[in-house]
Amino acid sequence: MAADQIAFWAFAPISIASAVLMLVQRNAVHAALFLIVNLFTLAVFFLLLDAPFLFAVQIIVYAGAIMVLFLFVIMLFGVDRDEPLVEHLRGQRALAVLLGIGLVAEVVLAVRAGIGFAARAPDGFELVNEGGNPKALSHVLFSEYFLPFEVTSVLLIVAAVSAMVLAQRRARSIEPAEARGNGA
Amino acid sequence: MSTPISGFIVLSGILFAIGTAGVLVRRNALVIFMSIELQLNAVNLALVAFSRMHNELDGQILAFFSMVVAAAEVVVGLAIIVSLYRRRRTVDVDAAAELRW
Amino acid sequence: MIDLVWLVPALPLVGAVAALFVGGRLGRAAGWLASALVAGAFAVSVGMLVDLLAIPTAGQRTTVVHLFDWIRVGIFEANVDLLVDPLSVTMALVVTGVGALIHVYAIGYMDEDPRFGRFFAYLNLFVFFMLLLVLAENYLLLYVGWEGVGLCSYLLIGFWFERPAAASAAKKAFVTTRIGDTALLVGIALIFTRFGTLHLGEVLDTRLWRDIAESPPAVPFTAISLLLLAGAIGKSAQVPLHVWLPDAMEGPTPVSALIHAATMVTAGVYLVVRSHVLFEASEVAIVVVMIVGLLTALYAGVSAIGQDDIKRVLAYSTISQVGLMFFATGMKAYAAAIFLLVTHAFYKALMFLAAGSVMHGLADEADLKRMGGLRRAMPVTAVAFSIGALALAGVPPLAGFFSKDQIVAEASRSQGVGVWALALFASFLSALYISRLIFLAFAGERRSGVEPHESPRIMTAPLGLLAIGAALSGAALGLTVDGPLARFLKPVVGQIVERSGRLSDAALATVSVVVALSAVAVAWIVWGSGKVDWQALRAGPWNALQRFMNRGMYVDDAYGAIVERPGKAAGRGLRAFDERVIDGAVNGMGAIVRVLAAAGRRVQTGVVRSYAAAFLLGAVAILIYVGARL
Repeated sequence: MAADQIAFWAFAPISIASAVLMLVQRNAVHAALFLIVNLFTLAVFFLLLDAPFLFAVQIIVYAGAIMVLFLFVIMLFGVDRDEPLVEHLRGQRALAVLLGIGLVAEVVLAVRAGIGFAARAPDGFELVNEGGNPKALSHVLFSEYFLPFEVTSVLLIVAAVSAMVLAQRRARSIEPAEARGNGA
Repeated sequence: MSTPISGFIVLSGILFAIGTAGVLVRRNALVIFMSIELQLNAVNLALVAFSRMHNELDGQILAFFSMVVAAAEVVVGLAIIVSLYRRRRTVDVDAAAELRW
Repeated sequence: MIDLVWLVPALPLVGAVAALFVGGRLGRAAGWLASALVAGAFAVSVGMLVDLLAIPTAGQRTTVVHLFDWIRVGIFEANVDLLVDPLSVTMALVVTGVGALIHVYAIGYMDEDPRFGRFFAYLNLFVFFMLLLVLAENYLLLYVGWEGVGLCSYLLIGFWFERPAAASAAKKAFVTTRIGDTALLVGIALIFTRFGTLHLGEVLDTRLWRDIAESPPAVPFTAISLLLLAGAIGKSAQVPLHVWLPDAMEGPTPVSALIHAATMVTAGVYLVVRSHVLFEASEVAIVVVMIVGLLTALYAGVSAIGQDDIKRVLAYSTISQVGLMFFATGMKAYAAAIFLLVTHAFYKALMFLAAGSVMHGLADEADLKRMGGLRRAMPVTAVAFSIGALALAGVPPLAGFFSKDQIVAEASRSQGVGVWALALFASFLSALYISRLIFLAFAGERRSGVEPHESPRIMTAPLGLLAIGAALSGAALGLTVDGPLARFLKPVVGQIVERSGRLSDAALATVSVVVALSAVAVAWIVWGSGKVDWQALRAGPWNALQRFMNRGMYVDDAYGAIVERPGKAAGRGLRAFDERVIDGAVNGMGAIVRVLAAAGRRVQTGVVRSYAAAFLLGAVAILIYVGARL
């Protein structure tokens, strides 16, 4: 077995296990931590797939920034309460399991109909990654995908502003008498 | 690379399914949100795998953009959850059931 | 003046519109304005009469004055044109002359009424429509006037609509005449089908018939004539559509005088006389007219004897007299029918107004059983009423003698002895019932509790003028068959064929006078002299006969049982059907929607996770579907 296969078959179960454990944790902080583990395994998969830039970005942005943000909020609001185990909605859990299995079956069938289980990645990826993966990515990013790039920068500004607006403490509402007094 | 690409695809599907189940089953809004993030990541994995398969970088670019947008989305979503919490003093989604008949 | 004929209907129309809009503010002036306008129309009519008489050749005394185009659709054409000829001018003079006097009387009679202005608006509107009817140059315009007088009759009978009896009487009048009106409309349609035109000048000109005779006549004259007669029966309250007239006495007395004595009920007579060539062309129709007239005269005469309400006696009397007019028309004595129409307008309007005066003086008491001895308290009314009564009875030299006698004499000449005897009997009855009324009201001792008083001069003055008319018009207009009125009308109605009968004119006249005086004598003995206890008789052995006469031989009750009750039951049944089935279906649909909605809205649980499950389910289903198809 080649090195990448060993890595794959080692991290895949970890990935699935951490995902499932995240699902069943009653404490939100524990769930977040398991998700971080999952994100790390995914980063490794990116590396296996010859995307070293994404490997780094995944760890820095996703696991490092986004999940930290999550943890902030969880610690502010949900840390001392554990979620109750009882399910009020009838059939919800069964439905969830059913849908999950359905989705997986769908994907398996699609793969079997499409690329097949034995397909391997072709060899010429080093040419694609010429000059290093970040440099190659930047060539594509700033030429073909320049517009989406600019738009996402605007998106980030909007997101930041909206977060500030949404999360601020509501201003005290002015009494009508006061308004009239101010105007007179 | 000798690992079959289908492995990554199937793994992505499994993670996506787990994320879906999480959205349906959990009551804590933050955990639901995290399950959605799991789904997004599963999709990113699939994108990168296909990019490798077709010998192109487009998939990786798309995964990159997906991460950016996910970041923005998390910011706004958490802000919403914060303001909801201020209203109701809870992050249980089942408590917000007033738009009913 | 003939060109100004449009003023005749226009003046009352102006009065009607003015009174409708500003009548409230005018107060009593509204009454004077309305009367003045009708008097103005009368003046124009007199002017037209003078102009007509000035035309030397009698045959040329026909003018059509075109006012404006109205309907022109394909071959159908009807315009607002007025016809000025002897017959229409005669009718116009009667309507406006008697109408003006009644308007003046009404100013006094309706003095206290809160809707004073509206009353005169309706009165003027009625006069307008009636004039439109008699002056119309084509059948469609005539029908407009016909319907209009029906409407005004409804409005005026039900003028005091707060009284359920009045509202019900107005409805009854309208619905009953409607039956006739519908027949008339079908008749007019048939006229158009046959002649291709509705112009009186063209339809009734027999010289033009030869051109139409080429095409096989699809529509027989009998059908047309009988339908026109049906309309006349309804409007003129003949048997079997007479039931509305006695009930119409619920309206104010000026209304009864104007509409139900002098003008509207004579519209049917006018229609038949005007269209007489159509009736003569069918052998059957003219005979039917005569039979209807005689039958009605006898029926109403008998019923009048049993009436206790002073106005109902006069109502049945009107039915009977109009029946005599139809009887005359049926015998082709058209000039005699119009003669009776004119004299009847005078004395019947006189008696109605006098009856109103009696009721006014007795605080609206109308029951003859509670009157008596009024001659001392109301002398002017008593004299006026008596003149009218004697005119009706046919006592010479008052008007009724000349006009009624002409008809009876014609019966003796042209019909068999049986018909003549029946006509004489009808004459006897008319003298009998009116004498009974006079003696019960004015003779004997007072039976009422209320202290009676004479009416104000504004009411008694018109009485005087009408009394003069009732007294003198007969002699003035027609001493003989060939009198002034008959000669005037000859171009329109032709001449009565001179026949020699069994008896000479003098003998016939004597017989009529004897019949009339004997009826008066009988009435005096039974009701006037006090020698016969009529109150005991009618309570005792003669009770059934009294009730039979009083209820109009139960005709109205028969209609109630045969037509009205099943009709109302059907109405109730349909209403139940409408409420339960039709409304039920509609409401049921609403109920179904409500039930379905109630079931459906349970999907909206408000729980986010259920919604999430729902759309994930959908998404997976779509995926499966797409995947399966690949």
